[in-house]
Amino acid sequence: MSSDLDRQIEQLKRCEPLKESEVKALCLKAMEILVEESNVQRVDAPVTICGDIHGQFYDMKELFKVGGDCPKTNYLFLGDFVDRGFYSVETFLLLLALKVRYPDRITLIRGNHESRQITQVYGFYDECLRKYGSVNVWRYCTDIFDYLSLSALIENRIFSVHGGLSPAITTLDQIRTIDRKQEVPHDGAMCDLLWSDPEDVVEAWGVSPRGAGYLFGGNVVTSFNHSNNIDYVCRAHQLVMEGYKWMFNNQIVTVWSAPNYCYRCGNVAAILELDENLKKVFRVFEAAPQESRGVPSKKPAPDYFL
Amino acid sequence: MGAQGKNSPASNPMQRVKVYRLNDTGKWDDRGTGHVSVDCCQGSENLGLFVIDEDDHETILMHRISPADIYRRQEETIISWLDPELSTDLALSFQEATGCSFIWDHICTVQRDLQLSNLGKVENGTHPASESLETSETSHANDEALRSVKSELRDLPSVELSTLPLILKTVVESGITDQMHVVDLVLQDQEFFPKLMELFRMCEDLEDLDGLHKIFKLVKGIILLNSTQIFEKLFGDEFIMDVIGCLEYDPEVPQVQHHRAFLKEHVVFKEAIPIKDSSVLSKIHQTYKVGYIKDVILPRVLDEATIGNLNSIIHSNNAVVVSSLKEDTVFIQELFARMKSPTTSAESKKDLILFLQEFCSLSKSMQLVQQLRLFRDLVNEGLFDIITDALQSPDKRLVLTGTDILILFLNQDPSLLRTYVLQQEGKSLFGLLVKGMIMDFGEDMHCQFLEILRILLDSYTLSGSQRDAIIDIFYDKYLDQLIDVIITSCPPKDVPRTNVKSVIWSGRTEVQAVTTPEILLNICELLCFCVVHHPTRIRYYFLRSNVIEKVLFLIRRNEKYLVVAAVRFLRNIISRNIEVNCENDEHLLRYIVMNDLMKPIIDAFISNGNRYNLLHSAVLELFEYIRKENLKSLILYIVDSFWEELTKFEHLSSIQSLKVKYDQSLEKYEVRNTVSMVDPRKRVDERDLDKEEQDYFNGDSDEEDTASARISNTHNQHRRSALPNSGSYFSPRGGLVDYDDDEDDEDYNPPSRSKQGMPTGEERLTDSPALKRRCTDNNNEELELPKKQRVDKNMIGAAASCSTLSCGDSSGKKAEAATQDTLHTAEGNNGSAEQHSVNKLDDSRDSSDCLPNAADTRQCEDLKQSSEEDCPLVPISKSTSEMAVSGTTVNGSEPYSVR
Repeated sequence: MSSDLDRQIEQLKRCEPLKESEVKALCLKAMEILVEESNVQRVDAPVTICGDIHGQFYDMKELFKVGGDCPKTNYLFLGDFVDRGFYSVETFLLLLALKVRYPDRITLIRGNHESRQITQVYGFYDECLRKYGSVNVWRYCTDIFDYLSLSALIENRIFSVHGGLSPAITTLDQIRTIDRKQEVPHDGAMCDLLWSDPEDVVEAWGVSPRGAGYLFGGNVVTSFNHSNNIDYVCRAHQLVMEGYKWMFNNQIVTVWSAPNYCYRCGNVAAILELDENLKKVFRVFEAAPQESRGVPSKKPAPDYFL
Repeated sequence: MGAQGKNSPASNPMQRVKVYRLNDTGKWDDRGTGHVSVDCCQGSENLGLFVIDEDDHETILMHRISPADIYRRQEETIISWLDPELSTDLALSFQEATGCSFIWDHICTVQRDLQLSNLGKVENGTHPASESLETSETSHANDEALRSVKSELRDLPSVELSTLPLILKTVVESGITDQMHVVDLVLQDQEFFPKLMELFRMCEDLEDLDGLHKIFKLVKGIILLNSTQIFEKLFGDEFIMDVIGCLEYDPEVPQVQHHRAFLKEHVVFKEAIPIKDSSVLSKIHQTYKVGYIKDVILPRVLDEATIGNLNSIIHSNNAVVVSSLKEDTVFIQELFARMKSPTTSAESKKDLILFLQEFCSLSKSMQLVQQLRLFRDLVNEGLFDIITDALQSPDKRLVLTGTDILILFLNQDPSLLRTYVLQQEGKSLFGLLVKGMIMDFGEDMHCQFLEILRILLDSYTLSGSQRDAIIDIFYDKYLDQLIDVIITSCPPKDVPRTNVKSVIWSGRTEVQAVTTPEILLNICELLCFCVVHHPTRIRYYFLRSNVIEKVLFLIRRNEKYLVVAAVRFLRNIISRNIEVNCENDEHLLRYIVMNDLMKPIIDAFISNGNRYNLLHSAVLELFEYIRKENLKSLILYIVDSFWEELTKFEHLSSIQSLKVKYDQSLEKYEVRNTVSMVDPRKRVDERDLDKEEQDYFNGDSDEEDTASARISNTHNQHRRSALPNSGSYFSPRGGLVDYDDDEDDEDYNPPSRSKQGMPTGEERLTDSPALKRRCTDNNNEELELPKKQRVDKNMIGAAASCSTLSCGDSSGKKAEAATQDTLHTAEGNNGSAEQHSVNKLDDSRDSSDCLPNAADTRQCEDLKQSSEEDCPLVPISKSTSEMAVSGTTVNGSEPYSVR
């Protein structure tokens, strides 16, 4: 079986999507693994933390070049694997296949784009329909999204989450009682973890212009870090032109791993490497050069009536 | 400006201008009349404005275009500026407004390029990708070739190998106004495309790769001009294969692509029923090839406007094809006659079904009304009978195609299928769908069955009698069938967690006794959906013949996700029942207690031990819910029956709080036993008990009524559930319950009004109060946040304007879309959302995900101003309850099922 899986991983690394039946089998296996993970998944150092990918498959390959291959490097991905880029299917399936193959070497947590609603608007749904001719693959993948963990805790010192903090969550233990297997709700703790943003001008909590989650200020982060005895929060969710950005006196850092976001924003990307002593190195990288991108491999239907 | 004289544009009125210069007395001097052009300044790579006298060909004006914002356009025909070199005002007065526009656009383009290249120097050349076409060309500004390019209006040279570079420059480097002109030039020249394609074939014969690369660039550039008229020519039967040929020679792709060979040799055009109309045929082929160009050849190159235009070509072709076939009554009749005929071979029946699927799927391109009419016609022809046949086919692909067609119909107009299902013949289709859901398709995906059943049973979109009839059929005929599958697939009680072997379905039509875990998961999912959608039927259908207990057999399965699904099923039963039947809920709770239904769940929780996984969280969430809703009979039942085992988990705050709640309720009953029952005291009692609830609901009288109604009901219900004959769980405290009995009628108070006030949306009771209460738990006023309200208009506006700035049109568009209603859900999770307006929960900012930084670096003043002035990031002290209520109505009215 693992040889099958290895073959699929190789295939996905060439940016060739799997067959529907392979997706189905992969998802069922992933489900068994993910159901055993906690809402605050414990992660050991050394580990490399990655932010949003957004279907930019070839840029993710750059990421692996810079950060090292899985399983040699341990990875923690902070969500938003899909939407906007051209290769959401291949990107997510590769990460999922790696998860199934090396469950202890790679951790995937959920981003706000890992949702049925959002993917119907921002591309993943259409991409599945285009690449498979039906939305079954989308259904399987979005079902898997429901099982993804909500956050991670590295060596009890670094709290990692896609969006940010929630007014409903003051201690990490409060995350324990979320039944995460559901579509991302419109409000409440689970929604906030995936949607919120830190914001300089906000005193404590502010209304988020995104329409979900909150804006939170430095004081909130200070007291959260203090009461949970953690060093800093590591999150993604917002484009930062330099790839990473510290805020509030190094109490929270944003890591962004989609270079030249949407193929036009002109930003660089970063990953955060933590060694076994949690020493930090940010590795900054640029978008994959044009020539390393294969010819887009949309397989057109071999026959047509109309 | 050497070339200036040769191509004298003297004849062109568009370029005719008078030059004026402001003199010392403040009057405009006429400096002469001539023709204006944009050209390279001598000895530099900068571009300038030149005016050549129409009589003596002397240069009247030579002005280097400045990147600074010095130019003004007045009225339609005047451009003026303060010339930095001459330190005086100059003006050009154009004979024609179009000429003025042309030069004005040109100045703007040059300015932008200058700014970009300055930027490029600073930023090491990281331009946004969307600009790359222009910038990469202008960055060669010192290229010798450019010097010969005139930005003047003239005919394109005849297409030859030698003129290709010039034509390429003209096409690729044109500004926006230019582009329209270039389009005109290309279209005017009848010989342009014939010659170009001839040249292509010649180069290909000669294997002139350099020429082929140039032709590739030219054809790509022409496509990017995005002109509908040019597309008509390019994609006509005459040229389209050659165009695809040209696009095989991308200089940036190392090896030549073989698109034509693929199209000719691998792609098969199938005709299920021969189509006679040649114009329809030609459109069908064109559509495929345009789609191929868009999706396979140029997806990375095309901008969104061009993609949009190509899509609309495909769309309108599809619409034409479908509607002309639809009008062709002979065609449709033949189609159905063949499908129904017993003499048609299985192979061609399959093709016919596949054709039917494409036909229905393409009809999405038609106007909605037309599509509805088409679907109705097809149904009248007997489409659902055909599908019923297809679903019984041994060929799985055919079965799945049948379900795909059904989904198309359901997304368009569910009532068609519902009506059919209610007819006598339809019942077998309903049955086949249920059967399909519990049938093992091996490797194939078959989640469509679940999807179809969900849409059929969706109570939010169904109305009146049809709804009740369909739901009744389902419960009466098929619920047991689903439950049987669960029973036969779960190990008997005393052998928990053994490995139940899955037997792969072997190709026969009857349902196998043992099923795959995926099917069990789908069944549980459908049952959860039913509970959410038909809560009023829980009592009748789920309490009857121990359905709940049987679903909970899933907990004995090995697969943790099935265990979790079963827990969620019970959680939904409890919460939906309370939301809808507040005066009846004690019935259900008593049922749970009597049947000891929490036992399998708590056993699973205990044996899961300290593993912090999804099962752990789901059970704790259930406990939290029971505690927060103050479901006393369940609290007493759980603690009384299972505390010994649960003490191991006392370190968990949820378990602790449950125990505290338990102790509190005991105390209260003890107090009650000693003090005589007086109504006012009881009120106080309640308030103590549910302070959090009070906090949450205060400020809104309606809500308060609701809350207290619910509270009194929970009291009430506890009393009943603890009646002596209700089971042995409360033996130590039986007396106090008897006592309550007297009071039953007095404080039982189910005013119809408060029932109306009860929310129907499930989120309302699960998430929102939970959040609120946790907030108040924290004793922190500031944490008392407003529910997400609609996002402040101003804020969105700001986000929209800035995202436009930073991320280009598309994100602007998205942000704009987000202005409508950012927290709006229509279909929620079921995949039926073909219509993409579904919801815009995102992303006013996500599209502006690049917003904050772009704003930082580019000094996006607009944003700052508007966000400071119009929408200060208000802390949050606005009437909380009001927002909570509005949040409630939003959630309550929107179907949104938990999965």
